[in-house]
Amino acid sequence: MMPFNLAIACSLMLAVSAIAAEPGKAIGSAVAPITIELFSDFQCPHCKELHDETIGPLINEFVNRNRVFLVRRYYPLPSHAYAKPAAYLACAAEKIGKYNEVSNLLYRTQETWGANGKVEETVCSILKPDEAKRIRLLAKDPAVISEVDKDKALGDAQKITQTPTMIISHNGKSYPIPGAVSYSMLKRFLDDMLGQ
Amino acid sequence: MSNSKRIALVLRIVLGCVWLYAAYTKLRQPWLVFAMSIDAYRLLPEWAVLTIARTLPWLELVIGILLIAGIAMRYVAILGTIILMIFFGVMLSAYTRGLGIDCGCFGLGDALSWKTLVRDGSLLLAAAGLVYLCWKRRPSDRFSS
Repeated sequence: MMPFNLAIACSLMLAVSAIAAEPGKAIGSAVAPITIELFSDFQCPHCKELHDETIGPLINEFVNRNRVFLVRRYYPLPSHAYAKPAAYLACAAEKIGKYNEVSNLLYRTQETWGANGKVEETVCSILKPDEAKRIRLLAKDPAVISEVDKDKALGDAQKITQTPTMIISHNGKSYPIPGAVSYSMLKRFLDDMLGQ
Repeated sequence: MSNSKRIALVLRIVLGCVWLYAAYTKLRQPWLVFAMSIDAYRLLPEWAVLTIARTLPWLELVIGILLIAGIAMRYVAILGTIILMIFFGVMLSAYTRGLGIDCGCFGLGDALSWKTLVRDGSLLLAAAGLVYLCWKRRPSDRFSS
């Protein structure tokens, strides 16, 4: 009986660590007590603020410690001309394991490509030629386009009207929090929920 | 009952209900959710955000009760108007800065937009009207409806 239980425990641990390991659009442990779905638009300046000031420490202190499962979702706003191509490229980058590099770059250079529209050139500038070629193809792939559209539809279903919006779920309750919330305030809220 | 008394009665009941509803929507959720709504305006230091998040819903509750009960009307009407003026100014500032945030007025999911500005602007006008009606009345009417 004991070895059987041990085998189950080991396979469960492997399953959880497999979910936790891959740094993509969803990061952390899927069994973490809190889930945050972050709906953002790469061309939105307040999403950049949230990304630059809040998401980094959130990942270090909560996601990497298996307290928060973070799912980043695409929510390109119609008012931003290059938000959709940027989302397709980020989604394509996710398929080749380059999501973090590409999303960081998109936010860092937002002002430039937001003005000149050279999203693809910007993204490809940090990739090897073969990766750039794959991403260009993948960004036009119907599966990638449909994944972005699915995220957008999911946001619409949750009545999201602005970006960034975090939907923070814990113990069956969900709180939609829009805006570039400071990390210290978010930390207080998460600590409070974890302490309950 | 004179016309101005009737209008004052309607205004204080309507505004009282709005204050009570605003308090209810904030008090039924964790107070830190409201703190995050205030924080998203990016105007105040953290200590001020936390203090306002803790106290404002209770102040709204008291204003609502006093308005409906018709107690200390002249002063409550002024206090309510000042608070609504601050709300309106802060919302206008956030709107002109293009912040995609909740207005925080009536709990979660109340996105800041020109519609919320029109709504809060109308409430501010109604509150100012109530102040005018309360202060133009005779001293004997001051503390009752």
